[in-house]
Amino acid sequence: MFIAQTLPTVTSSWYLSLAALLFAIGAVGLLVRRNPLVMFMCVELMLNAVNLTFVAFARSMGDLGGQALVFFVMVVAAAEVVVGLAIMVALLRRRPDATTADDVAALRG
Amino acid sequence: MSMFLAAAETASTPFPHLLTLLVLVPAVGSAVVALISKQRPDVCRQAAFLFSATAGALAVYLLWNFDVADGGFQFVESTTWVRDFGIGWRLGVDGISLFLVVLSGLLFPFVILAITPEHDPKPYYAWLLLLQAGSLGVFVALDLFAFFVFFEIVLVPMYFLIGSWGHGNRTYAAMKFFLFTMFGSALMLVGILALVATAADAIGAGATFDIRELAQADLATNTARLIFCAFALAFAVKVPIFPLHTWLPDAHTEAPTAGSVILAGIMLKLGTYGFVRFGLYLFPEASRWAAPVFLTLGVVGILYGAVVATMQRDLKRLVAYSSVAHLGFIVLGTFAMNSQGVTGGIMQMVNHGLSTGALFLLVGMIYERRHTREIAELNGLQRSAPIMAAVFTVVMLSSIGLPGLNGFVGEFLILNGTFIANRWYAVIAAVGVILAALYLLWAYQRVFHGTPRSVENESFADLRLREGLAVGALLVPIVVLGVYPKPMIERIEPSVAVLLEHIEARTGVAPAEGPTAERSTVEELFGAGHGDDASHGANAGKVDK
Amino acid sequence: MSLLASLAAQAAQPVTPVTSVLVETPSVDWWGLLPLILLAAPAMVLLHASSLLRRVFRGFYATASVGIAGTAAAFAIVQWFRVTDLDGGRGPYTTVASAYTVDGYSVFITVVLCVAVIVSSLVADGYLRREGLDGAETYALLLLSASGGVVMASANDLIVLFLGLEVLSIPVYVLAASHLRRSASQEAGFKYFILGAFASAFFLYGIALVYGATGSTNLGTIRQTLQDDPFVDGGALLLAGAAFLLVGFGFKVAAVPFHAWTPDVYQGAPSPVVSYMASGVKAAGFAGLVRVFDVTLAGQVRDWQPIVVGLAVLTLLGGSVLAVAQTDVKRMLAYSSISHAGFLLVGVAVASPEGAAAVLFYLAAYGLMIGGTFAVVTAVAGPGEQATGIDAFRGLGRRQPMLALGFTVLLFAQTGVPLTSGFFAKFGVIKAAVDGGWYWLAAVAMLSAVVGAFVYLRLVVAMFMVEDIDPHHGDGDVVAATPAPVAMPAALTLALAATVVATLVVGFLPGLLTDLAGDAVPVVLATLP
Repeated sequence: MFIAQTLPTVTSSWYLSLAALLFAIGAVGLLVRRNPLVMFMCVELMLNAVNLTFVAFARSMGDLGGQALVFFVMVVAAAEVVVGLAIMVALLRRRPDATTADDVAALRG
Repeated sequence: MSMFLAAAETASTPFPHLLTLLVLVPAVGSAVVALISKQRPDVCRQAAFLFSATAGALAVYLLWNFDVADGGFQFVESTTWVRDFGIGWRLGVDGISLFLVVLSGLLFPFVILAITPEHDPKPYYAWLLLLQAGSLGVFVALDLFAFFVFFEIVLVPMYFLIGSWGHGNRTYAAMKFFLFTMFGSALMLVGILALVATAADAIGAGATFDIRELAQADLATNTARLIFCAFALAFAVKVPIFPLHTWLPDAHTEAPTAGSVILAGIMLKLGTYGFVRFGLYLFPEASRWAAPVFLTLGVVGILYGAVVATMQRDLKRLVAYSSVAHLGFIVLGTFAMNSQGVTGGIMQMVNHGLSTGALFLLVGMIYERRHTREIAELNGLQRSAPIMAAVFTVVMLSSIGLPGLNGFVGEFLILNGTFIANRWYAVIAAVGVILAALYLLWAYQRVFHGTPRSVENESFADLRLREGLAVGALLVPIVVLGVYPKPMIERIEPSVAVLLEHIEARTGVAPAEGPTAERSTVEELFGAGHGDDASHGANAGKVDK
Repeated sequence: MSLLASLAAQAAQPVTPVTSVLVETPSVDWWGLLPLILLAAPAMVLLHASSLLRRVFRGFYATASVGIAGTAAAFAIVQWFRVTDLDGGRGPYTTVASAYTVDGYSVFITVVLCVAVIVSSLVADGYLRREGLDGAETYALLLLSASGGVVMASANDLIVLFLGLEVLSIPVYVLAASHLRRSASQEAGFKYFILGAFASAFFLYGIALVYGATGSTNLGTIRQTLQDDPFVDGGALLLAGAAFLLVGFGFKVAAVPFHAWTPDVYQGAPSPVVSYMASGVKAAGFAGLVRVFDVTLAGQVRDWQPIVVGLAVLTLLGGSVLAVAQTDVKRMLAYSSISHAGFLLVGVAVASPEGAAAVLFYLAAYGLMIGGTFAVVTAVAGPGEQATGIDAFRGLGRRQPMLALGFTVLLFAQTGVPLTSGFFAKFGVIKAAVDGGWYWLAAVAMLSAVVGAFVYLRLVVAMFMVEDIDPHHGDGDVVAATPAPVAMPAALTLALAATVVATLVVGFLPGLLTDLAGDAVPVVLATLP
């Protein structure tokens, strides 16, 4: 009871802020981290942050449509990962030593 | 093509679609030459000559049927090109463009006949024909879009001619030529579109690229001035006017002889012609506003070109810089904005084409024999090649502006007009005339006089028959126009009068026509004998209007 | 109230019990979806057939791909007449619960995409055989990607737009990496994928924010909401959403500063795929961009216009200036394509029907030009795409004049020389900018075109104006006297010839295409019923 009285009410803006934070972490992570797998995970984090945003908005507006959108995003994310991992595997087969994204830099001009 | 020919206005023309045909003949010829086998250079050459000469014949036919008294546009054709944008295939000639059309028509077959390329004749002839089509197009276009298309398209063949058949640093020169000119016309395109848009607002009708309609639009003063600047930049690069001239010596020097002749004879006139047709006609007030700048730059160009030409060691570069000076005169005449100045400017466009074209031709012949253009390497050529020396003398004197030759008439009218408009410019420009005599005569003296100091110079071959015929063909108009310029002036004058009336009507300022007393002073200054001819012609023109 | 209690209360909110089993589904106008179906379904069939068919004749898959795309284009053209005829025809309409628009605009882009696929397929035919990669995959992926592009162009809902974007992009990631024996290809695919996914996430977040601001993802509803209340939600959420959308589009169309992937991907990916990227992907990207910004957010033009103008200027200058420094032709063309994207952005930025029509014209003209250009690059680069340096074009004008001449036409078209379609494309954009009062923007665009011209002229110089053998070339090695002639497979020659002819015909008679582009706009947005 004591805890409950000191904590403010959780509104949808909390979720939105959390989503924004997650999105930012994902975006920064993608730019900073060099391990391809971690970069994939960062993309996933960004997409899930978007999902959270959709749900939060849908909930606050009482619109079911926004929640349905999450399924689209999840499907697309899955498709993206499938393709991305396949490309990664193909790349590592050609260059087994390329463990970080910086090693993948034969193309420059 | 049937689209073009479909709905044209043909009522007033004695020969339907003469101007379209004039542009199309060389263009088609270019394609035909491109299809001939590479193994048959002689056939390529004959076909090229045939097509360009046909265009030349059409140009002469045009000259023949040109109505002397009419100062407006003749042989007008008009067909829709791009309906939504108000773009049309609108062609026509008046006295201002007539002689440039004739010059473009005749100079090309002449060049094809006189000069054989060093290698790859087939693409060479194809590009030359395309160049002819483009140049003719520029001079007959009455539609800003069509004009711009032709103005830009001539870059491509010239770029190839310099880049593929040139000498020395040819790719650099070709690239510089292309990029400089494209830079100028890039802003002109914006200007054209701005003009069309603002004019459509001013007239209240749909957008049109027809210059005859655009000339009637009332634009806000500042808008018109700004748009004029965009046009002027493009023309100033093409002329070229003094600070923008740096591409010209490179292009001229590295170009093959035919390229130099065409460049001097026709390409440079695109800019000066542009100033008259699109500068003065479309933006009378802005032209008057900018005139002091262009008069100054013209004078600076005259002096700068002359001084730099004096210092050149390369004969071709010398002639190139002399072009800068001569074009300064044309700019001067144009922006004097009175009957004498503009008429003289237009005459001088043709004269410069003839005399400088001939000079480049002769320099090319010298280069062909000696494989050098260094003045220091050449000496005493008069001994071994007297006929060439004689021809060179005449051409050079025409370039200097000696009375009795064509150069005098134009230069005299320009100085006359400038004197009336602003006498100090004329005074300084007259110094340029003296300098021109200095550098040309000095160069002539070094190259032709004295005794040959090397075996090559001693065994220097004189003009061959074909070469003689080629230069001779240019000498005829040089002398005829010098002695009897009246037919030319009386065709140019009415159109100039119409142009000046238009300017007067739009700006409310009458052109500076000085009292007769002042004019006669100038006549006395430059020798009354031949001045009579010129002023007589000029007066005859005035009587006509 | 305690935390637990509040959660419980939320969970206990009344939920309407579903009593009826009858679910109303939106009506679907299958006829309107036909071009899309004609691209996607046969692509699947082709993919499966390739694993079932043992032996097919040479070039079967390319023929099939051209046939499929051609059929889709043909049906799109039939649709065109009904959709753009506002008097007797049906006029534009939406279907699938107004999530999918069939209007002149989407049909125009559909045809552009189909043409892009046809050109790429023709080029890919010889390429794949040369590289020992022949099979149905490339063609199926091209067709699937094009179907995604069609969805993008037709989307009337942000989520449908996103789905279209993904269906467009994912096959291209695979295509970029599809050369199994070139690690450069996989590297290109990897880079394209990472940055593409990054961009998609931004795009999606933008959708979420716009949804939060307006309560809908339907473009028509969004526009209606914004018209009724321009300051909905204080505007901040909406503008943030629009900004994220712009970043997503910026990546797809390769606008500076979101262009970093372009040169690497263009260099590494197989040339026929690059041809499709530059023509097809770009067209779809701009189709979405115009529909979202110029149409849906038309009321907010004052807010987003400065940003798009800034992007356009950066893209124009960045693309043309950086192109000058390149020595690899594919990288050079990558930067030049960025510069062309700048021109297209000018058309978007002016936010007028003329601008949109100019963008359409540009996309159609540029798609053909760049398709032909990459056909030449594919042929000249030779086995393994080894020869993509500018030296590979040295003396081509003497050895294979027709090829060099065709390439020159395409290069001059990209330079913007009159009497080619490229000139009129630039002309249209500049005209739209000038008509909108954006004089300085038009001037910047034209000046960047002059800088960009240097790049194309350098290639022309290499082809026509230098000797075959440069005495200073290499480290004193004797260069092979005459390089082997460039092999020109028939299909590639056909693609090159067709694009060159189209470039010239449209250049001489631009009215043919301006009329169509003009009829394709105004873009019609439907609201929810």
